[in-house]
Amino acid sequence: MLNYTIRRLLLAIPTLIAISLIIFLLLDLAPSDPTANLPLTIPPEVREKIRQSLGLGDPIYIRYLLWCKQFFINEPLNILEQWLGWGEGDRLRVLSWQTRSPVVDLIVERTPQTLWVVGMSYVVGVAIALPIGIISAYRQYSWFDQIGTFVSMVGFSVPTFFTGVLVIVIFSVWLGWFPSIYDTTHEVTDWESFLFQVRQMIMPVAVLALFNAAQISRFMRASMLDNLNQDYVRTARAKGLRERTVVLIHVLRNSLIPVVTVIALGVPQIFGGAIITEQVFKVNGLGQLLIISIQGGDLPTVQTLTFIFAVLIIVFNLVADVLYGILDPRIRYD
Amino acid sequence: MRLRTLLLGAAAAVAITPAALAERGSDGEVKIIYWQAPSTMNPYLSGGTKELEAASLVVEPLARYDQDGNMVPWLAESVPTVDNGGVSSDLTTITWKLREGLLWSDGSPVTSADVVFTWKYCADPAGGCAQSEKYNDVTDVKAVDDLTVTVTFGVPKPFPYGPFVGAQAPIIQAAQFADCLGAKAPECTDANFGPIGTGPFQVTDFRPNDVISLEANPNYRDPAKPAFATVTFKGGGDTASAGRSVLETGEFDYAWNMQLAPDVLGAMESAGKGTVVSAFGTLVERIMINLTNPDPALGDERSTKAHPHPFLSDPAVRQALSMAIDRALLVEIGYGSAGRPSCNVLPAPEIYKSTANDGCLVQDIEGAKALLDGAGWVPGADGIRAKDGVRLSILYQTSTNAVRQDFQALIKQWWSDIGVETELRNIDASVFFGGDPGSPDTFQKFYADVEMYANNFDGTDPEAYMANWECKQAPTPETQWQGNNMPRYCSEEYDALVAKMAQTGKLEDRATLAKAMNDKLMQEYIILPLVDRGRVSAHSNTLGGVIMNVWDSELWNAADWYRTKTQ
Amino acid sequence: MSDTGGQPLVQVRGLKMHFPIYAGIFRRHVGDIKAVDDISLDINESETLGLVGESGCGKSTAGRAVLRLYDITDGSITVDGTDISDVDKEKLRHLRPKMQMIFQDPQASLNPRMTVAGIIGEPLVEHMSLSRSERLERVYQLMDAVGLNRSFADRYPHEFSGGQRQRIGIARALALNPKFIVCDEPIAALDVSIQAQVVNLLEDLQEQFGLTYLFISHDLSMVRHIADRVAVMYLGKIVELAPRDDLYERPLHPYTQALLSAVPEPDPVREAERKHIILTGDVPSPSNAPIGCNFCTRCPRAEQICREIEPEFRQVEKGHYTACHFVGDTEIKTAEPTAGERVKP
Repeated sequence: MLNYTIRRLLLAIPTLIAISLIIFLLLDLAPSDPTANLPLTIPPEVREKIRQSLGLGDPIYIRYLLWCKQFFINEPLNILEQWLGWGEGDRLRVLSWQTRSPVVDLIVERTPQTLWVVGMSYVVGVAIALPIGIISAYRQYSWFDQIGTFVSMVGFSVPTFFTGVLVIVIFSVWLGWFPSIYDTTHEVTDWESFLFQVRQMIMPVAVLALFNAAQISRFMRASMLDNLNQDYVRTARAKGLRERTVVLIHVLRNSLIPVVTVIALGVPQIFGGAIITEQVFKVNGLGQLLIISIQGGDLPTVQTLTFIFAVLIIVFNLVADVLYGILDPRIRYD
Repeated sequence: MRLRTLLLGAAAAVAITPAALAERGSDGEVKIIYWQAPSTMNPYLSGGTKELEAASLVVEPLARYDQDGNMVPWLAESVPTVDNGGVSSDLTTITWKLREGLLWSDGSPVTSADVVFTWKYCADPAGGCAQSEKYNDVTDVKAVDDLTVTVTFGVPKPFPYGPFVGAQAPIIQAAQFADCLGAKAPECTDANFGPIGTGPFQVTDFRPNDVISLEANPNYRDPAKPAFATVTFKGGGDTASAGRSVLETGEFDYAWNMQLAPDVLGAMESAGKGTVVSAFGTLVERIMINLTNPDPALGDERSTKAHPHPFLSDPAVRQALSMAIDRALLVEIGYGSAGRPSCNVLPAPEIYKSTANDGCLVQDIEGAKALLDGAGWVPGADGIRAKDGVRLSILYQTSTNAVRQDFQALIKQWWSDIGVETELRNIDASVFFGGDPGSPDTFQKFYADVEMYANNFDGTDPEAYMANWECKQAPTPETQWQGNNMPRYCSEEYDALVAKMAQTGKLEDRATLAKAMNDKLMQEYIILPLVDRGRVSAHSNTLGGVIMNVWDSELWNAADWYRTKTQ
Repeated sequence: MSDTGGQPLVQVRGLKMHFPIYAGIFRRHVGDIKAVDDISLDINESETLGLVGESGCGKSTAGRAVLRLYDITDGSITVDGTDISDVDKEKLRHLRPKMQMIFQDPQASLNPRMTVAGIIGEPLVEHMSLSRSERLERVYQLMDAVGLNRSFADRYPHEFSGGQRQRIGIARALALNPKFIVCDEPIAALDVSIQAQVVNLLEDLQEQFGLTYLFISHDLSMVRHIADRVAVMYLGKIVELAPRDDLYERPLHPYTQALLSAVPEPDPVREAERKHIILTGDVPSPSNAPIGCNFCTRCPRAEQICREIEPEFRQVEKGHYTACHFVGDTEIKTAEPTAGERVKP
């Protein structure tokens, strides 16, 4: 398994380099202009000067190599030197065109709120999806299952920009229970501030969790149904095991194998942020960073973010495969 | 000018007296939401409105514009003019004098060196300065003494108030940005995110494209201001949710740029937590009259001076068309608080606004009929007026846009009431405004009798805008249909006024000329102005001192904002 | 019903196992699949009762129903003196050690995520209070008994061959010292070379532990080898039940005759002379069984009565039961069909 993991990681390097080049070329081909969002009163000559100062005058391969150097060499070296105190660690970093500040700092700044809200919604979503999936499958076609199916369908098909605005109107405007705008500067220092954090997280987390839960509970249900009819379940019953043991030990453990990998594969989405939900609740995490960078034609930020997403997707694909190997004794990597 | 400015300043001071009594920082926190988030605090690195306005809380220009578009001295002692000797008589230099005792928020004094540095910073060709237009034609900026700077232009500038005036051109601290000239500008992240300024607030935490935390500037020139100790400037989301947070939930105090349908905004406002405020600039929705004949039979000479319009060349017809329109109703249906009826094509700033044409505010169907009767246009069997075999039948074009099509329908009805037949036509905006000389449907070609669109000009100076209606500006096949004079208006008198303005430096004289031009266009009914479209923001009912301003940053007077105690 | 001494270990009377069919938007109950429809049989202690029939005839369902792996529709089942036909789940669970099952597919019937020791030891955890080492010792004993190497205890099922897996299944079934084991086609999924080994193992274990088997199979020759008595099922019903030799020598029911005619003879001379009875048509759906005799749609001898009246399952000779209108009082000596195709191979 270790050899397998190392081999996969080594294979990932050329893959990622190819991905970074493809992303770069795609972004470059896409019609986007970093000065497009400026007011019309700024004349074309000034726009051209701004473009030149962003380095858009250089040929594409120079710009790509520059990005590679800044991202793969300068950034890690800076971090290393600052940690070890060897040098200044002030090599030129990847700079955003919109904010003129290092992209990596922007990402680091936005990661907490994304992890809090999107990550928590994933955890909550999984936590409610599993029991719902299990019970729905065990009592297939019962009222519980029918309601679960309906709720999943709703959660899956009703977009978050609708549910988001709906809960804001109900809980912020009418009832006034929760803030409609997320405060990213809020720090949890004591019980009081923790409660505030909970209050401001409830709505975005609930909206996203519904969506996540809808997806995962369907997987869980299908997987449970697959296993419930297996012969080994009959064997377990024939052994005279308690029904709880049969369902929770035999059926659930086997059903979880595919679900766990689906859950692992979904983790990169957390880091990708939830563009729409972040926008609706003004969480301003990584998803919002990506969308405004795209809108603003901020190529270095889009390039760096999408590349990091690519890394995460590759890593979590590997994690999913390794987990499968650990969970399912039938699968062995060598 | 000077006196007027002082009076206005005094009036503003009276208006804000309750706040003036307060102590600095006594009103706690004020929360502002912009649905587009600022990405930097350095206005020279981003030309976006959101960045300019956020930065205006921190960095300030020598002079700025008040809510009526008048220039008021800000960091300067006074606004230099030809009269007070601040502007040379050949209009090539302007000399500014800084107020005494000004301090940066870090406690160091503001000097003329900072002003000179600001110019150098923006003028550096490698820096990609977004506001370099403001410093056009500047050949030199010299510090005369610690508080005096002279700006020299390469050409005579009748309006020399580009550099260091308005939210786009504030003064930055030389010491902080000394190493950030030219290509190094983007690398000074700390300075770009937290510029040291002279404004009422200073940045404590800047999260690009998300939220800015500010606190009162301890070295602000007025020891009693600002009333608020901290500012939270949140960005992101969408217009409706920003409006909701101010008008319905009361979480925020001020929301910017509420481009929402009148009924949506009205419903939000009815929650009673906040107020919608609007201010009006120069954007006017107008109907242009074609003074030339657009008859397709004329081929290449269609809509050119060679053939006057068969009936629109009669001033009585043009006037009757204007009189039949109910501008107040158009505003109510199309724009709500974001619009107001206008009788001028140059509706602002205040000093340029004519009051000579306000008669158009009242619809007068009977008057219009009488006018047409008197001019010999009598209704035929089908109710359409005609004279000498010419029927009053109009082709009315505009771009495709829900509000514009509502306007077309209403106006068609009113015109039919006075016996004028109207055929409506709408053209996709990208074609209509696209300016493609090969397309017959551009607003420049004007192959119709009347057309409707909106236009405005940047800044407060109308010189270039009013020059649009010179003879030579008429689009013709010879000019590839380029030009701004859509009505093909041609008047020697008017052209003389334009030429005179180009040589006049004195503001009052310039205003007189601009008004005269406006009145001439209005009274000849060359252009039928309909609606003056404004900018709309919303503020909480507990936030006092807000004065909307379209000529400068909306937050221009944030130092005077306060919390109303009664609520 | 049986007179081969003593009380039978297992008594089944009028067992019915119907699965409801739901259809439509509101999932209304529109019918039943009558997988097992009124069967009765006895299994004596230490004997092997073979249960044969075509696939789909309900024999596996019958086996599972007898162990109450289903909630049965009707009838009674008595195992070792206890009526288990409608005891609740918890009580049934405590009765499980007495009766066990060996499944057809040794791969699917073993939990892929449990080791051999886990699979064999799990019932011990549930039903006996043994220490960890005692339990392991018992697992080893069982592995010895079925001929599995003790060193395999920590391996997973997928690492074994089919025969070995079935040995695991058998060891698992034996773990709680059952009296009665339902062997549901235990050799169907195995290579022919392995089949004999497993059958022999089952026989050895029967002798060693005094087990009683209900041996379900479609393999008539294997049943002949292992069973003491044989029951033949067709479409949810037992059509004939008799001591082994009796049934194989003198089948009475036309269906049994047809089944047996398909078994190849080892002797080529006799094989050449043997008459094949080829049944035409398909087995009717168990949700829509024919009126009268279930077999009437395919029976070479069917007459009007067969399509109207269901034949009674009755004893026609000592220990020989059958359900056919033409058998019994007017005993038919020759199993000569009067209709149907005769084909020489």
